[in-house]
Amino acid sequence: MDARRRSPFTAAVTLVALVFLFLPLVLVVLFSFHKTGGLSFPFKGFSLRWYRDTFGSFEFREALKNSAVVAVCVSVATLVLGTLAAYGISRTTSRLRGPIGLLFFLPITLPGLFIGIAMLVAFRRVELQLSLVTVAIAHFVYVFPFFLLIAKATLDRLDPALEEAAADLGASPFRVFRKVTLPQIWPILVGATSLAFALSFDEFIITFFVIGSDSTLPMYIWSSLRRTIDPSINVISTMLMLITLLLWVLAFVFTLRAGRGRARAVEPILGGEEV
Amino acid sequence: MSDRLVLEEITHRYGREVALDGVSLAIEEGELVTLLGPSGCGKTTLLRIVAGFVRPSEGRVLLEGRDVTRAAPYRRPVNMVFQRSTLFPHLDVFENVAFGLRIAGVPRGEVGGRVADALALVRLHGFERRRAHELSGGQLQRVALARALVNRPKVLLLDEPLSALDLKIRLEMEAELRRVHRETGATFVYVTHDQREALALSDRIVVINEGRVEQIGTPDEIYRAPASVFAARFVGDANVIPVEVVGADGASVTVVAGDLRLAIRRPDGLGRGPAWLVVRPQLVRLAQNGDAGVPGVVRDLAFRGTGFSYRVDVPGLPDPVKAEMSAESAPPVDVGSDVRVSWDPAACRLLPWEPGDG
Repeated sequence: MDARRRSPFTAAVTLVALVFLFLPLVLVVLFSFHKTGGLSFPFKGFSLRWYRDTFGSFEFREALKNSAVVAVCVSVATLVLGTLAAYGISRTTSRLRGPIGLLFFLPITLPGLFIGIAMLVAFRRVELQLSLVTVAIAHFVYVFPFFLLIAKATLDRLDPALEEAAADLGASPFRVFRKVTLPQIWPILVGATSLAFALSFDEFIITFFVIGSDSTLPMYIWSSLRRTIDPSINVISTMLMLITLLLWVLAFVFTLRAGRGRARAVEPILGGEEV
Repeated sequence: MSDRLVLEEITHRYGREVALDGVSLAIEEGELVTLLGPSGCGKTTLLRIVAGFVRPSEGRVLLEGRDVTRAAPYRRPVNMVFQRSTLFPHLDVFENVAFGLRIAGVPRGEVGGRVADALALVRLHGFERRRAHELSGGQLQRVALARALVNRPKVLLLDEPLSALDLKIRLEMEAELRRVHRETGATFVYVTHDQREALALSDRIVVINEGRVEQIGTPDEIYRAPASVFAARFVGDANVIPVEVVGADGASVTVVAGDLRLAIRRPDGLGRGPAWLVVRPQLVRLAQNGDAGVPGVVRDLAFRGTGFSYRVDVPGLPDPVKAEMSAESAPPVDVGSDVRVSWDPAACRLLPWEPGDG
């Protein structure tokens, strides 16, 4: 064993870092079960009253539904268009392949704030009424490059000779894609779609600019915080965290499944992200 | 016999680089033809043009008389065995072999039988449910062969299918390919850079160099009567000796190289002046006594199992003369020994001088 690994100092720093990272999460979850309305210690005992309250709220259910609808639309659109775009960029022999790919990925570096403002200006310009539709469009713009990055990396790593072999055996380009390409990449696509769903589901900044009079879950939390502060906020946060966590796990599992030495495209992104 | 595949004046350029330069070729039904040449000579490009993956800059590809030059790969009744394994990893052996049949819409009842026949042909009966990662390199290429042949292609294209295999497996697979070719009677076009493989497998060999056909012929013809210095050097081992043609006398000419003076059967269209003399090492005789031939000194000796391989320095010749003697016919001659070098003038071949060949 490496001597450094056993150092008590390293162990202590690791522990502190983990506590720092996870204590806030634990506290949020803990106080969502609080008996009273207090959000700080002393903890007075467990109760499900805030969960009952929250789910009883029409506004909450509406926000949850809106978030889900937007996320579903965004992930379906991303799956279809992102896969097509990735396949096109990955397979084209055009000299513009590099520049075009880069243009598609570049939005990943844009701050959410910038996308939010830019989308708002754009919607104003084309006189599109702010609604869940504009939210979905803005989310799509935000999520698309992430999906594309994963899908293209996966396609790039497939052996082109397999597609040639399929064409040689009589398969038209469409059938090559359906019978040879898709079966090899679908787990990655499922993973990347889960990721798209998760990114859309808890998106706040961009949504804030383009939402209009509707509400999504993060918006609902934000507006609740401005009114009253009680453990129902913790309830919603806990749920949001669980759903997002679930989707990330889903993305990870599907990517690993497809991996086995090949195409582990989500890993670099997952590895750098803290849930 | 009719021409199954005809290539007419195929020229192909990648940008400014000419990969193929006016290649014409006719392949008969049932033939096994190899395209032989060093890497980068254009042989794989030629095969990919037949398969439809590359559209030639000029020229035509005719399959049973039909012009398919511009047809997409999936519309051509040819199938290919690739250099590396291209088995679909998400399908088992059975489904891999059945792939082309299912695409072609062969009735379900028929698919099972044809796949079974194809797997029996390559001796992989019982491997139906295996996946690619459960097969050895040789087995993978057998499946690839079955997957191509099951479609009964007009021409089977093989792109260096054995180059990734170990020598022992490669020799086994060569025998398998010969047997499969005999049993199916299919037309094979086989690309290789391995002259030994080409000699062992082919009905005819097409020697390609720098995008041009150097020679077309049976392995025997090309070995005995190479049409160019390149063909002589590339197919089998050869002594290629620069000589001067000094005189002609009826059916024979006299050539001089250093102290060597030989009368040789006169080839067509060769006058006085410089030329190349090609002598296969098996035809060179080394003697430790007597006065036939020219004197030389043994510089190197290697045991080759079936015999000994010598390199002999001969005064007046630029390169050492290569000689191969069977182990039975003569005891080995030690390095440094004086020997007399000779060969049968009737067995060597005179080729016109090409300045670039030196």
